[in-house]
Amino acid sequence: MPTPLPAITRRRLIISIGLLVISPLALADGPWLRLEAASNIVGDTQPNTAGLHLDLPHVSEDGSAVPLGLSFDGTLGEDDYLTDIHLFATGNPNPEIAVFHLTPMGGLPEISTRVRLNETQEVIAVARSHRGETFATSREVRITVSGCLMRGNDDQPAALSYPRVSAPSHLAPGEAGEIRTLINHPMETGLREGPNGNTLPRHIIEHFRVTLAGETAFEAELHRSISANPYLRFHLTPTQGGELVIEWQDDSGESAIHRTAIDVG
Amino acid sequence: MSHTELVALSGLLIGLVFGATGQATGFCLLRGLSHAWLSQDGRKLRAFALAMAVAVIGSQLLATIGALSLDEALYLVASPSWVAVPLGGLLFGYGMAAANGCGSRSLVLLGSGNLRSFVVLMCLGLAAYMTLSGILAPLRVWLEGATSLSLPSPSLPGLLGVPAWLPTLLLGAGLLVWALVSRHFRASPRDWLGGLIIGALVPAGWYATGVLGFDDFEPVRLASLTFVAPVGASLQYLMLSTGTRLGFGVTVVAGVLVGALIMALVRRDFAWQGFTGPGQMGRSILGGILMGVGGVMALGCSIGQGLSGFSTLSLTTLAALAGILGGARLGLKGPLALSKVL
Repeated sequence: MPTPLPAITRRRLIISIGLLVISPLALADGPWLRLEAASNIVGDTQPNTAGLHLDLPHVSEDGSAVPLGLSFDGTLGEDDYLTDIHLFATGNPNPEIAVFHLTPMGGLPEISTRVRLNETQEVIAVARSHRGETFATSREVRITVSGCLMRGNDDQPAALSYPRVSAPSHLAPGEAGEIRTLINHPMETGLREGPNGNTLPRHIIEHFRVTLAGETAFEAELHRSISANPYLRFHLTPTQGGELVIEWQDDSGESAIHRTAIDVG
Repeated sequence: MSHTELVALSGLLIGLVFGATGQATGFCLLRGLSHAWLSQDGRKLRAFALAMAVAVIGSQLLATIGALSLDEALYLVASPSWVAVPLGGLLFGYGMAAANGCGSRSLVLLGSGNLRSFVVLMCLGLAAYMTLSGILAPLRVWLEGATSLSLPSPSLPGLLGVPAWLPTLLLGAGLLVWALVSRHFRASPRDWLGGLIIGALVPAGWYATGVLGFDDFEPVRLASLTFVAPVGASLQYLMLSTGTRLGFGVTVVAGVLVGALIMALVRRDFAWQGFTGPGQMGRSILGGILMGVGGVMALGCSIGQGLSGFSTLSLTTLAALAGILGGARLGLKGPLALSKVL
């Protein structure tokens, strides 16, 4: 007859098994803590892991333009609003993807864009509010080989040409209006070789700025991980109308401006 | 409804019509070839030729009136591989003969209760994604890179330097005349109706993705009927639907299955069928795998290249189609015929 394990040993065994199960979870908590750039944003605060959402496909066959959506349904104090949302790609040569600066006019914090992901990795979003609340979320994306053959892109349209904007012309007060923007730009990373073997110089749009009636409504800092021909979708909830000016500025100092009007009332 | 939902819904409708038509008419390239080569009955093959004529005339008409541009279609590759495309066609054709039908035919048969087709489709979908993005993808990408051929133009009219309507008219009229010259075919409404409807679904597919799906900001990939990658994508969608978006190809596949099921029930043609032995099962598995691997290498299947690719007048289609016909010929007749090998 086998002797039963002494009670103390059994308890220790259970505890150590428990620790084995818990410890990887504890380590896995918050990949933003493992990325310096992201943990700097979080600072000493304990970010709220509920509220901020990243919408990315689980699997993408085209890492050069992965659709990315950001949304927020967390609770914030009265008069508080999100001021900035930072996006990171942990496996890219430069982890920064973009920073979005929101204003009280931001209304509905829902942003879409397309990003470059060069391998299977975790994408991180960190948001801060005006009153210092922080939110963080992450999502893993698997990148596979491209499904179709690459096309010869010899005749690329000129950088900063043909800006396209879709914006509502009329909004009721307090109504969130969806604004979608697209512009031609190679967003050349400075890491890629051209056909003759030389590294193509970096050439990207760095700043995106939207003003309504002279007041800043939305701003974005873009990095190399934003796909060519940057697409940005965001929302504005203006209290008064005026001229909507959208400006894209690239690192060569050139810029493109699109003007339209939004009428509120 | 957003434009992506509209595209998915149109895919479902196109699939339903395809499935119902395929079930009722027995539209199938392999059957056409085997009837023509083995029993001298050309009706099914003429139905496929009629579908090709309708597809190319309809699609080029859409492009000519400026509704959409077919230049973005995946068949029009500027530097295709001169090995992968015809070799893929050959593998696909042989696999089609082994499995007793191509991908779309297997979907229609499965909808009619044929469980052998279930095995074919699982193997086809798995092999397609193995080749597209899985374990065989590095080999495929290497082969394509090592044997790429720089063409002066990806399309037949571009290569010949003639306007697109000229080859459209010549090829379309030629196929039409060849199909309709047979009194036997004209007297078989089941066959000419099948060819007519399925041919018309190709421009309908281009219209759904190219016109209904047109959006500057969030473009939908231009596509029409094809049944290799979409079968794999459907399996992937079943497993990962919370993290993927429903696209045109997947809804077409679902539509074909449901359309065939409805038609089979309406016609009281639904019957469960299984394998009679391990040899038959092995043939289905081999056929599915060859079609999956070959279909991805050739950029399309008998429908994808044979109808959709053909409708763009792409040069890769000529190579792929020659491969598919050659592979089917090897599988049906001669020393490598499946009746002798397996």
